[in-house]
Amino acid sequence: MRPSGPDATHCSSNLRSWGKLWRLAALLPVILGNIGPSFANELGQQDTLANTTPDKALMGSISRGKKVFQHYCVLCHGINADGLGRAAKLYQPRPSNLVLSDKNAQYKELIIRQGGAAIGRSNYMPPWGKELNDEQIRDVVSYLTSIVKQ
Amino acid sequence: MNASLIYSVGFLLSVGWLSSAQAGETEIAQKDKKFSQTKLSIKVGDTVKFKNDDPFAHNVFSLSETKAFDLGTYPKGQTKSVTFDKPGKVEIECAIHPDMKLSIEVKP
Repeated sequence: MRPSGPDATHCSSNLRSWGKLWRLAALLPVILGNIGPSFANELGQQDTLANTTPDKALMGSISRGKKVFQHYCVLCHGINADGLGRAAKLYQPRPSNLVLSDKNAQYKELIIRQGGAAIGRSNYMPPWGKELNDEQIRDVVSYLTSIVKQ
Repeated sequence: MNASLIYSVGFLLSVGWLSSAQAGETEIAQKDKKFSQTKLSIKVGDTVKFKNDDPFAHNVFSLSETKAFDLGTYPKGQTKSVTFDKPGKVEIECAIHPDMKLSIEVKP
């Protein structure tokens, strides 16, 4: 049995309004889906622009390099890069104090990539070229350059 | 007859003593950035051979008081050995792969 009379009319008009609302709600994802990507693109472009400024890029590299250093290098070179890692006592010559290093970035990259033996330094400095990727090596060099005390 | 029996028993006993006193050898492989075992029990005088089965270099070392050593960096296919001459615990690591761990108990 279907309702009739004024109440029923009011009720059916309410139902029609709800129906419109539901249709609108159903369209929302489509509308947002069209707006969303372009908005995200704009944000992404801004983010990329911000990250490509020299300072930000360098800070990012230093920060990543510190993490790599703390994972792989602290064993010998120590958490402060002063050559006093927990394994330092095993080696003669002792691991370098990297805070006082006078070597340039190219030299650092070479010894990290090829190891000490390849360039006439300590045999105990392993070649990291197959363990770390190019970006990680560059990042470590950025970090090491940033901590040198003049 | 009695004398030959005594000699035979003596010979067998000395062979037995010699074989029990002979040092053992265990091979531990390094594969997929892991040691093939995480724990190992050996006796004083035993030797452990560390074989690199990975396509990249490893650098096995220990800072333990019982046996501190560093085998240096060595490539795929190479094996380096360490003889453990004191009883105690030895924690073995790889200088290139900090997550590699092996604990050796050297029994008297």
